Amino acid sequence: MREVHLKILQYITAIGIFFFVGVHLLVSHFSSGDPESWTSVVSRATSSGWFALYIFILVFGFYHTLNGLRTIILEFSIPQRAIKAVDWTLMIGGLAVFGYAIYIPIKAF
Amino acid sequence: MEAASKQKVPLQNRLGIKGWAWAGRYKIERYLYTLHRLTGLGLFAYITLHLVANGSRLWGEGSWEGTMNFLSNPGFKVGEYLVIAAFVFHALNGGRLMLQQLGFTLGKPKPPVYPYVDAMRRRRSLMWAVLVIIVGLAIYVLVKFAM
Repeated sequence: MREVHLKILQYITAIGIFFFVGVHLLVSHFSSGDPESWTSVVSRATSSGWFALYIFILVFGFYHTLNGLRTIILEFSIPQRAIKAVDWTLMIGGLAVFGYAIYIPIKAF
Repeated sequence: MEAASKQKVPLQNRLGIKGWAWAGRYKIERYLYTLHRLTGLGLFAYITLHLVANGSRLWGEGSWEGTMNFLSNPGFKVGEYLVIAAFVFHALNGGRLMLQQLGFTLGKPKPPVYPYVDAMRRRRSLMWAVLVIIVGLAIYVLVKFAM
């Protein structure tokens, strides 16, 4: 994938995160009631809408975070072979953590 | 041919990490660049902690309540505010960068009449507008947290 495609995906995921995390923040931190209580957490975890929102946040968030991290590292003019190593490390490490992260809402649903 | 192939090699970043703190006679946009990276790294650290905390619900209600009690101390509340402030900055400054990089803030072409106004100065009003919104939202969230 060319760098320009990675950049465009970075923009698309940024816009998605802005809306999805915005909803998440409004409900989890600025709503009335007790959104962090076990009852509220279980109620959200078993709702299809919230489940879909969590999956979108994870997919968009992981891409945006890992590609952002890659951009920061690559700005330090590292050699071509090191770029490959960075790409593979971020991809494998990212997929492993993503697997764990996505397991949490799936198990709860 | 040789010149064309040389052009493809990107310029070396001689300053490295030091360029984040001071990069010579650059303007405020350079420091917004640094803050964008720092808030990005801060949010990355928070997401890691958030995943660990969320994972505690896999072990049932007791584990979840224990984690929430641990995270309810004032130190974590301050951290929580900083995360939201970092998110607001990263999102709005990122929006500004997207508008600029996609060419939406270039304006109409004009004849070069002295005194010249370069592209960065033409976009500075947008930068200040975004900064005012960021500071306003950060204060609003701070008040909500304090109440």
